[in-house]
Amino acid sequence: MDPIRRSLLGQLAKLTAGAALVPLSSVASAGINDQPPRRGGNPEKRYGMLIDLRRCIGCQACTVSCHIENAAPLGNFRTVVSQFEVEHEETGELATFMLPRLCNHCENPPCVPVCPVQATFQREDGIVVVDSDRCVGCAYCVNACPYDARFINPRTQTADKCTFCAHRLEANLLPACVESCVGGARIIGDMRDPESEISQLIEQHRNELMVLKPEKNTLPQVFYLGMDERFTTRPDGIKPAIWDVANQNGKEIGYEFDGH
Amino acid sequence: MNSMAIEMLVPRYGIAWYPWAVQYFFLIALSYATLWLAVPGLIFGKKAWMPTARIAMLACVTTTLVGPVALLADLHQPLRFWHFYGYPTPRSWMSLGSFILPLYLGSVVVLAWMSWRPALKECSQASDGWFSKVAGWLSWGNWKIPRPLMVLVGLAALALSIGIMLYTGAEVAIVRARPLWHTYWLPFAFVATGFIGACGLVMLLNRISQARNAIINRQMFSVMIGACIAMGFIALTWFLDGVNAVDGSVAIALDSIKDSTQWRNTALWGSVAGIALFVIAIILRLRERLWGWGWLVGLLALHVAWMFRWVVLMNVQTVARNSAGYHNYDMAFGSYGLMGILGTFGLWIAAILLIDLLIPWRGHEARAITDKSSSSSDISTGAPSHG
Ligand code: SF4
Ligand code: SF4
Ligand code: SF4
Repeated sequence: MDPIRRSLLGQLAKLTAGAALVPLSSVASAGINDQPPRRGGNPEKRYGMLIDLRRCIGCQACTVSCHIENAAPLGNFRTVVSQFEVEHEETGELATFMLPRLCNHCENPPCVPVCPVQATFQREDGIVVVDSDRCVGCAYCVNACPYDARFINPRTQTADKCTFCAHRLEANLLPACVESCVGGARIIGDMRDPESEISQLIEQHRNELMVLKPEKNTLPQVFYLGMDERFTTRPDGIKPAIWDVANQNGKEIGYEFDGH
Repeated sequence: MNSMAIEMLVPRYGIAWYPWAVQYFFLIALSYATLWLAVPGLIFGKKAWMPTARIAMLACVTTTLVGPVALLADLHQPLRFWHFYGYPTPRSWMSLGSFILPLYLGSVVVLAWMSWRPALKECSQASDGWFSKVAGWLSWGNWKIPRPLMVLVGLAALALSIGIMLYTGAEVAIVRARPLWHTYWLPFAFVATGFIGACGLVMLLNRISQARNAIINRQMFSVMIGACIAMGFIALTWFLDGVNAVDGSVAIALDSIKDSTQWRNTALWGSVAGIALFVIAIILRLRERLWGWGWLVGLLALHVAWMFRWVVLMNVQTVARNSAGYHNYDMAFGSYGLMGILGTFGLWIAAILLIDLLIPWRGHEARAITDKSSSSSDISTGAPSHG
C-alpha cells in the first residue's frame, strides 16, 4: 500500500477510535443485516479493553492462561499475541512489535446480525457472546468477523470466541488474560463509569488510541495505546516467517523458519 | 514503508465453510437456472422449447432435492436445523434463505409433478407390472389439472427462484470481512455462471438420456453465449472498479491477492476457460453439423460453473485477513472434503436414475427414442464416433 493511503488509514484509525467512544444508542431497526436489540448483561455497564502496547513484552502468558481458563481446543485461540520482527530499511536496525489480538466486542459487530438463529448476540454491557445450545454451527459469524476472533470449536461443534471472561467478571474477577498479564498491558473496565481506570486512561490518551481495521466500520472496543498505524490493517508486504513443512504425501511434519 | 517486517508468530486459521457449501451453491444455481430454461416451454407454452423444458425439469428437480442435503451437511450441528424455524431471524440472509428454500423446493416438486402427470397417467394405464402401479400412485387420482393452476405454480416457483438467487448472492456479498466477497457484482456472477452451468447440464442430459435433440443444443448454445457475455461484462466491471478504486472493497480485494502466483494462475485459468467456452459455443452454434458435440461443451460449462464457486467460496477463505500470507487449505479426504463432494454428486446421480426409472419424464419423446425413428431433429449421427 502506498504511504499516502497508509497515513490516510492511520488518520481514519484515530478518528474512528474517537467515534467509537461516543456512546452509540443501540437502536434496532428492522432492516436486513441491522443490529438486533441487545439482551442480557448489565445495562449500566459497557465493558472495553485498553491494551498498552508499550508495556507488552510478548510473553504469551495471556494466550496460555486464556487457553487454560476457557478450555479452548488445541490449535484454536480466543486471544493471541502476534509478533513481528521489524527491520529499518536504511539502518538495518531490528525491533520487535507485539500485537495482542482478541475479540473487539465491537459496537457495530458484523458477526451478530448474520447469525440465522440469534445464537450469537450482544449483551447490554457490550459483551458479544454465543449461546452454544442454540448455535447450529453454520460458521457464518466466523466468516463475518474481520478479526479472525471466532472459530468453530471442534469439541462442541459450535462457534467459540472471547467473552471478556464474562463468567469471571460476574464473580468480580478479572479476565484470565488481564490477571496473568506480566507487563500490566491489558486494562479492562466499565467505560460508562467515568472513575474507572479504563475511562481515565481513555480520557488521558484520547488522541493516541487506535483500533484495528477501522475502515470496516465495526467500531471495535479494544483500544491500543502505543500502536503503529501500519499495523492496524492487515500487514501489507509483511512476510510470514513460519511455513508448514509437508512430506511427499502432503502430511505436515513440522515448521520451518523462513530465512533464519 | 521504510521498514521491513516479518511476522514471527501466528496461529493457523482453518476455513469455516467446507466444500459442502460449494456443492450447495453449485446445485442450487443449476436448480434455479434450469427452472428458467424450463419455463418458456412449460409455462409460457412455447412449443419449440418443450423438449428443452422436459430435460431442464429433470435437472431442476434433482438439483433442488439434493442441494439442501449438502447445505445441511455444511452445518456443524445438522440435527439442530430446526433452530432455523424455532428462532426465525429476518435480519439474517441465511435465515431468510432457510424460509425461501423449502417453499422453493415445494413449488418445484409440485410443478414437476404437474408436468409429468399426463405421462404418468398414460403409463398407469399400460399394463407394465409394478411400474404402472407406481405411476398410478404417483399420478394420484383421475382429475385433470387445470392449466391456469399449473401456470400459477410455475410463476410462484419462478418468483421463489429469484428469492434464491438474491439470498445466496447477498448472503456472501454482505460479508465485509472478506473483500473478495464484498461486492455487488458477486450475486450477478453467481447467476450468470449458474446459467452457463445449467445450459451445459441440459446438453449433457440431452446426450445421456439419448434424446439427442438438436434443437435443444441450439437453444442452449444461444443462452450460454448470452450468459458468457454477461459474465464477461461482470468480471471486467468488477476488475475495473478495483483498478480504478471506484469500489474500495474491490481495490482491497485485488490488493490482497496481487502477489500470489496461485491467484494469478487461478485468474488466468478462469479467463481462459471462460473465453474458450464462449468461443466454442459461438462456433458450434453456427455450425449445425457440430451440434452433436454439445455435451462436451456442456462438461466444460459445468466445470466453469463449479470451479467458479470453488474459487469464490474455498480459495477466498484461504486469504488471510489479519496475518501475513495465505492459509493452507488441504482438502481433507473425509466427509468434510473429498468424500463430501463425491457423496453429493453420487446422491445427485442416484436421484436422476431413480426419476428416470420411475417417471416417464420424457413424455412423448420417449416413443420417438424407443422407435428409433430418426426425425429431422435427431442428431445421433452428428458425432458418430461418440454414438
Ligand atoms: S471482533 Fe469479531 S467476533 Fe468480536 S465483536 Fe467484533 S466482529 Fe464480532
Ligand atoms: S456458527 Fe452459531 S453463532 Fe455463528 S452464525 Fe452460525 S449459528 Fe450463529
Ligand atoms: S500477558 Fe501481557 S505482556 Fe504478556 S503477551 Fe499478553 S499482553 Fe503482552
